[in-house]
Amino acid sequence: MDKRKRILIIEDEKAMVEAVRLRLEANGYEVLTSGDGEEGLIKARAEKPDLIILDVMLPTMDGFKVCRMLKFDDQYNEIPIVMFTARTQESDLAEGKEVGVNAYVKKPFKSEELLKVISDLLP
Amino acid sequence: MEKNNRFPENQEDESQLLAKDIKEKYFWAVELRYLIAAVSLIPFILSFYSSAFSGVNVKLISLVLGYNLFAHFLYLFRKKYSLWQMILIRSIFQFLDILAITFLIYITGWTDSPYWFLYLVLIVISGFGMFSYYSISVLLIAFFCVLFYLGVFLLAYNHVLPVYRPDFNISPTEFLSLLLNKAIFAVVSFFLFAAAIYYFSKLLGEQRKALSGKNRELLMALEEMKDVDQMKDEFVSTASHELRTPLSIIRENISLIKDGVVGSIEGKQKELLTTSIENVDRLSKIIDNLLDISRIDSRSLELNCKPADISEIAGRAVEILTKKAADKDIHFNLRLAENAIALIDPDQILRVFINLIDNAVKYTPRDGKVWVIVEDGPNFIKSYVCDNGPGIAKENLSKVFARFMRFQSPDKAFISGTGLGLSICKGIVEMHKGSIIVESEIGAGTRFIFTLPKGVKNG
Repeated sequence: MDKRKRILIIEDEKAMVEAVRLRLEANGYEVLTSGDGEEGLIKARAEKPDLIILDVMLPTMDGFKVCRMLKFDDQYNEIPIVMFTARTQESDLAEGKEVGVNAYVKKPFKSEELLKVISDLLP
Repeated sequence: MEKNNRFPENQEDESQLLAKDIKEKYFWAVELRYLIAAVSLIPFILSFYSSAFSGVNVKLISLVLGYNLFAHFLYLFRKKYSLWQMILIRSIFQFLDILAITFLIYITGWTDSPYWFLYLVLIVISGFGMFSYYSISVLLIAFFCVLFYLGVFLLAYNHVLPVYRPDFNISPTEFLSLLLNKAIFAVVSFFLFAAAIYYFSKLLGEQRKALSGKNRELLMALEEMKDVDQMKDEFVSTASHELRTPLSIIRENISLIKDGVVGSIEGKQKELLTTSIENVDRLSKIIDNLLDISRIDSRSLELNCKPADISEIAGRAVEILTKKAADKDIHFNLRLAENAIALIDPDQILRVFINLIDNAVKYTPRDGKVWVIVEDGPNFIKSYVCDNGPGIAKENLSKVFARFMRFQSPDKAFISGTGLGLSICKGIVEMHKGSIIVESEIGAGTRFIFTLPKGVKNG
C-alpha cells in the first residue's frame, strides 16, 4: 500500500472545510487545512501537499494570488491546484487560466464531481 | 447628488440645444436663401447674352447672389458658431436682405412698387428662423423695413438718389401727404404683421421650452431607473454568489450523512436526505437562472462566439435528454440539416436546445412525440422544437416567455422547474441577434421556432 495522498484545503468557511475534509478522508486522502491565504501559502510551502484546494475569496490574500505565488515557483509549480469558485463568467475563469489553475469546481458542487477532479489530477 | 450635474441648468446650454433644434426643424426657411440665389443666377447669366437683362437689375441680382453665396459659405461651418455668433451672422444677413429688398423697390417703381410684400416675407422667415428667445427681433426687422422704405422715399425726394420715375414731380405739401400716407401704411401693416409673428413665435418658444423641461425630467427619471436597475443586477449577482457557499455546505453535509460517512443510516432516512439534496440542487439551479437573467438584463452575459454546427448542438441536446424522454416513452424525430454552421456561443445555444426540448418532454404526455428540426438557410438557421402535447391556450401564449410563468402538466403532476428557462432562452437568442417565437393551439401541440443569423458578431 502506498502512502496516502495529502490534500491541503485553503478555505475560510470552517463548515465548508469540515465537510470537504470528512469527504476526502472518507475517500482515503490525508487532509491539511488552512483558513486564510497567507497562512495557506506558508503551509503549502512547508508541507508540499500532493494537491491544493483553493477558495477564491480568502482573507489576507486572495486565491488567485496564492495560486500565482505557487505556480511561479519552480519548487511548487508541480502541485495541482483546484479552485473553488462561485463565479463562472468567462472573464473570471480567464484569470484562473492565466495563473495556472488546474481545475475549477463550481459551488455548490457535487461530491462525486470534486472527487473525480481530484483523482484525475493525482497520478 | 452628483447625477443632477448631468443636466446643466445653465441657460446658455439650453439655448444652444434649442438653436440646434430650430436649425433642424426650420431648415427650409433658412435655406430659402439658396433658392433666391439660384433664381437670381438665371438673369445674371442671361445678361451676358442679351441686352434686355443688362442694367441696374443685374447689379441688384449680383448683390443678392453675392451675399447669398457668402451666406452659404458661412452656413457650411454653422456648427462651429456659438449662439451669439449665430445671432450676429443672422442679423447681418437680415439687414442685407432688407437692403436688397429696398433696392428692388427703389428700382422698380419706387414707393409704388408692389415688392414691399417682400418685407412681409422677410418678417415671416425671420420669425421662424430666429431663436424663440429673441423673437423680439422680428419687431426690430419690421422697424428697419419701415425705416428703409421711407428712407429711400426721402433720399430720392432730396435728389441724393436718382429717381426712377420720369414723371416724378410733386410739391412739398404733396410730398408730405404722400410720405404720411406711406408711413402709416408701412408702420401699420409691418408692425401688425410682425407683432402677430412675434406672438406666435414666442408662444411656440414657450411651448418648446416647457417641452424641453419635461424632456429633461424624463431623462433624469430614466437615468435614475437605470441606476436602480444596475443596483438590482449587482444585488442579484452578489446575493447569488453569497448564497452558493452556504448552499454547498448544506449539500455536502447532507450528502456526507446520506453516504454514511459519519455513521450508518437506514432506508427512509436516506430517502429523505436524497430529496433534500435534489432540492438543494434545484435551489442552486434557480440561483444560476436568476443570475443569468440578471446578466441578460444588464447585457453582461458574455458570449463566446465561434463557428459551430447547430445541428450537432441540437443532436447533443437530444442525447442528453434521451434517458429522460425514454422514461416517459417519448419518441424523438430528428431532421437536422448538414453543416448548419453559424457564429454562435455553442454552450449557450446548447442550453437553449436543452431548455426547449426538456420543456417539450415535460409537458408532453406519455407516448408522445417530440420533433427537433434544424433548417439551413442562406443567412439564417431556423430551428424547431415541436411536440404533440396538449398545447397552450391562446390567452397564455403571450405569457410563455414571461418570468416565473409555469403551466400545469397534462397529467396535473408537479413539474419541477424555475419558470425562468424560456425567459433565458429568449434572452440568449436575442443576444445572438436572433428571434424566438412560439406557436400553439389547444390539442395540436406546441412549436418553438428560433432563428439565428449565421454571421453574428459578439453582441
